[in-house]
Amino acid sequence: MVILCALSGSGLSFAAGNPGPLPAKASETTADQASGGKTGVARALDLSFREDVMPVFFRANCNSGGCHGAAAGKDGFRLSLFGYDAAGDYYRLTQQMLGRRVNVAAPDESLLLLKATGAVPHTGGTLFSKDSEHYRVLREWIRQGAVDDLETVAEVTGIRVEPERMVFEGGGQNRPLKVIASYSDGRTRDMTALSLFLSNNKTTADVDDDGVVHAGRRGATDVFARFNRFTVGIAVTVLPRGDNFEWPADAVARNTLDEAVFQKLKSLRIQPSKRCEDGEFLRRVTLDLVGLPPTEEEARAFLADGSPDKRERLVDRLLERPEYADVWASRWADWVKLMGDTFSGGGTDNKNAVGYFQWITEQFQKNVPLDVFLREQITSKGSTILQPMSNFYTMLPTLGKYDPKEMAQRVAQLTMGIRIGCAECHNHPFDRWTQDDYYGFVSFFTGVQRKKGSEEREFYVYDDRQHRPALHQLDQRPMPAKFLGGEKPEIRGRDPRIALAEWITSAENRLFANSMANRIWAQFFGRGVVEPVDDLRITNPPSNVELFEELGRRLVAHGFDQKKLIREIVTSATYQLSSAVNASNREDERQFSHSMVRRLSAVAALDAVASVTGVDTVWKTQPGLYRAAQMFNPGIRNGSYFLTCFGQSERVSVDAGSDNREPSLSQTMHLISGDTVRDRIRVSGVIREWMNQGASPERVVESLYLRSLCRQPSEAELAVFWRVSGSSPAQADYERLWWALMNSTEFLFQH
Amino acid sequence: MKTSFVSVMSVLVLAVPVSRGIAAAPTWEDDIRPIFKSRCFKCHGEDEQKSDLSLHTLGAALKGGSSGEVLKKGRPNSSLLVQSIEHAEGVEKMPPKALKMPEEEIELIRQWILAGMPAGAGNMPQAARLVFAAVPAGERPEKPAMPSGLPADEPVTGLSNPVTALAASPWAPLVAIGGEGRVRFVHAETKESLGAVPFPEGIPQVLRFSRDGALLLAAGGKPVQSGKAVLYEVTTGKRLGAFGDESDTVLAADLSADSQWVALGGPGKAVKVFRVADGKLAYKLTKHTDWITALEFSPDGKRLVTGDRSGGIHVWEAEGGALVLGLSEHKESIHALAWRPDGKVVASGSEDGSVILWGIEDGFPLATLSKIHTPKLRPGEYGKKPGGVLGLAWTGEGNLLTTGRDRTSRLWDSVGGKLAESAPFKELPSKVAGTCVGKRVAIGNARGELTWWEPATQ
Repeated sequence: MVILCALSGSGLSFAAGNPGPLPAKASETTADQASGGKTGVARALDLSFREDVMPVFFRANCNSGGCHGAAAGKDGFRLSLFGYDAAGDYYRLTQQMLGRRVNVAAPDESLLLLKATGAVPHTGGTLFSKDSEHYRVLREWIRQGAVDDLETVAEVTGIRVEPERMVFEGGGQNRPLKVIASYSDGRTRDMTALSLFLSNNKTTADVDDDGVVHAGRRGATDVFARFNRFTVGIAVTVLPRGDNFEWPADAVARNTLDEAVFQKLKSLRIQPSKRCEDGEFLRRVTLDLVGLPPTEEEARAFLADGSPDKRERLVDRLLERPEYADVWASRWADWVKLMGDTFSGGGTDNKNAVGYFQWITEQFQKNVPLDVFLREQITSKGSTILQPMSNFYTMLPTLGKYDPKEMAQRVAQLTMGIRIGCAECHNHPFDRWTQDDYYGFVSFFTGVQRKKGSEEREFYVYDDRQHRPALHQLDQRPMPAKFLGGEKPEIRGRDPRIALAEWITSAENRLFANSMANRIWAQFFGRGVVEPVDDLRITNPPSNVELFEELGRRLVAHGFDQKKLIREIVTSATYQLSSAVNASNREDERQFSHSMVRRLSAVAALDAVASVTGVDTVWKTQPGLYRAAQMFNPGIRNGSYFLTCFGQSERVSVDAGSDNREPSLSQTMHLISGDTVRDRIRVSGVIREWMNQGASPERVVESLYLRSLCRQPSEAELAVFWRVSGSSPAQADYERLWWALMNSTEFLFQH
Repeated sequence: MKTSFVSVMSVLVLAVPVSRGIAAAPTWEDDIRPIFKSRCFKCHGEDEQKSDLSLHTLGAALKGGSSGEVLKKGRPNSSLLVQSIEHAEGVEKMPPKALKMPEEEIELIRQWILAGMPAGAGNMPQAARLVFAAVPAGERPEKPAMPSGLPADEPVTGLSNPVTALAASPWAPLVAIGGEGRVRFVHAETKESLGAVPFPEGIPQVLRFSRDGALLLAAGGKPVQSGKAVLYEVTTGKRLGAFGDESDTVLAADLSADSQWVALGGPGKAVKVFRVADGKLAYKLTKHTDWITALEFSPDGKRLVTGDRSGGIHVWEAEGGALVLGLSEHKESIHALAWRPDGKVVASGSEDGSVILWGIEDGFPLATLSKIHTPKLRPGEYGKKPGGVLGLAWTGEGNLLTTGRDRTSRLWDSVGGKLAESAPFKELPSKVAGTCVGKRVAIGNARGELTWWEPATQ
């Protein structure tokens, strides 16, 4: 949060120097007529603080997070971040230190102008010159008496960016953007010169301070204009000039998800990769659906199967396996920060954690629809031991305390993939959420109370009907519960969370359906259509809008039955693409034109080692044989060095990205010399058993390859093995081969 | 030496501060102990004393813990206990790992501290003896100085800046106000202009008459450019000398009672004291960590009080600058500091909305007038409006004048009892001064105008 705020100013183009001229006042209403709008109400000739002056602070970056927009201001002078509090800014400029910042008797002597033009020492340097339009506006406003305009001013109701999209044939070309602001009195005004611009990918399309887009390398990105509290993006596509693009004949859409993906690829002139081999598919889909690699028997049977629908039948079989629920329970446990402790004091004891984890697992065993699954948690109440889903209110908050603001933020992030936290202190700088939205949403959670139950580990969760709504941070105004961007429900005498849960999980709430579907999609492609999956915002749009929407539509069509959507995803042509790239999709990482090589999660990697060697994991903290995916507390809390080393989420953050898949040197070293692989090979009896059964060396090598990598050894690989081990290898030779296979990147990655 | 005494209202020997309904003041037994019992005793009670702090009895609470005192009589803002339950920056939050205590309980604790932390209704502390006695107020000159023959004050053509400096002569019907590049004089009785003297240094931020009314100190300058204090002869308007060569405007300045010293301060954070005789810097006070916003020499010339933009106040020996007292309690910028004419009390007015009357013997806050200039919220309005005290001045009779952001001016007796309140002015009253013309009060406002108020007191 703090980091985000600090960075928020830096991603923007800095507007120093002389901006373009403002439109002359007289022409404002004619601009309306030209655009076909109804003629706006004529405005007084005087300059308006809110309409004319505040935008200068915005454009000249005076009120950005690194300058006077910082929460504590800068060098004793504070402006509200990006101008969310105009009344406060007016007070601080004109009233806080009377006669210092503005000087109506001698406007040019105003400290505001002296500082901005660098005429006196200013930490922020020179922002504009005395002959600039910015200077003229500020000076004239001061000369007119630096008056406030709260009663009379028209509000900005939105902005429009023209053109709505840009397609460049080849780099090196430029095209200007135009930003049109609409006001509550019906006027429109060209505010390009007072807007800020940013690009999500400068190598594809950069945008300068004046709003001119410069095309770069091939690709697709979004360019944004910001004015007032609005941000609007347009899609910019840069195509290779004059290539002979042809869509491969064998790339045929199998469902609507494919259609969305392929449509986008065609528009970008990207060819998808070929369909993957059977062995690749088997390993990929088995790991994805049940969190384990296929066994040797499964591999042999699948590879030998000649029927055309064998992939679909495989998917159906996998979806019915009990391990399916463990995979999803483990993921959701990461997402809701499920963890247990002894004597935690905050209702997060092991007993609570085990109960909650079992409850989640059961939901996926029964394939409970996702809307029901989340509704039950959001509206949960009662004992955290008898009603395990009420641990939603002990696990998600920071340990030991319940803050409705924090709870509201986490629920929004978890269920709708949006981060509203910025709006706690100021309107979200890169999204549409305002402080009003934020505090209205928080009010759904202000009544939640927790108290200790009859035993030390038990908490009681309930809603206090007498609760008061959240107070607006700016003026302590009570903010009745209001859906994000929606209406205020009638909640008098009711637990407001019931109305909230219904609204969040309703089919009409695209945020929920799209976000849930996107979370699921991301599990099968290594990234979401929106990535991170829990950070959808105007400035982080989907890489393929149609795909994002279609995913949500399919999930709704299936009644939030996750298995049905997963079946569609893993049987799609897109999922079955090979990871081998071609010239046109080599650089694509966002459009799903080829399978992405993904490292196994920590949990899947450990379970894979155990499954391939046939040696179960022994846990320090828990008796019995469990796969990592079945552990309610994986990682540091059960003393597993392997899980910690391979980036298992510590479950301290609700961020979906807390599960770290980055490779590291210690992972490599652990696989080479740690006990996880080496000890298992030593105690695993499978090689000895094969040798005792009189299996041929060729057969043993083949089995090891099928078990570990789900494929036959190549001629070259065999040649190496025979050369090193001779024609009748000893057990130690096979063990060395096996060790090498499990140390290969192919083992640790899905491809 | 013939000394005249300012005629005063009859001697004020009051048993209790009159500004607060003492009957309603919370007490340890009835109000505070029950709060501590439910919120704090678990860790700071009879059985356990975390950080060696027990709140179990009043005696134990006053003793404090391993961090020292946690309760400071009359000074809730400076009390560690209040800071921690209000979750102030930099102190451990109490109760730990939980939300703040209800506002009503915190307010009750504050009121109790302000009331002097009474144990029970039967044993309210004796209010300190807030005596304002007739004091020698300097020698009344034979013929109080009035300017004559000054160049006419040119009518203002454009807009005027807010009145940032205003002073009334202690003996003559004369008011001086600062304007853009000049000091204007106005007759307090006829309200007519008496001309102006140039102040080419910029905008005056302070005006001060000498004790005998013969000299006028004007200090100010140009923001982030230059600042100076200039001494004028009132009758002729002649410049007698200039002090300081600051790189920002001077915000606070005063001339000592014996006209020996000129002190000034501003954004430079240092208070500089100059010898009037040769204009040389005598000493510098560098203890303040923020802009100097107010300062004043005591009526006997022995002390100097200075205040800063963070709310800090220090009292010094005027001779040499040794630190005498630190008066920390205000939360926001000090806007004005003024010695009661008997030199026993300093009044401080702050942007935090309060005026504190400090007993200068020991630094004890004798009375705290809270939120006296906080604008009322209109129906449908929420939150806190800025309610700073902007102007503050004692009258010769030992009454206190204040103005603030609620656009009113108020008159208080010498111990903070309310005497009168003006109707809200149209413009923000930025500065106030009591004239020697009856009860007439001069008020400067944010539009640069001089207005008048005749308080109606019983």
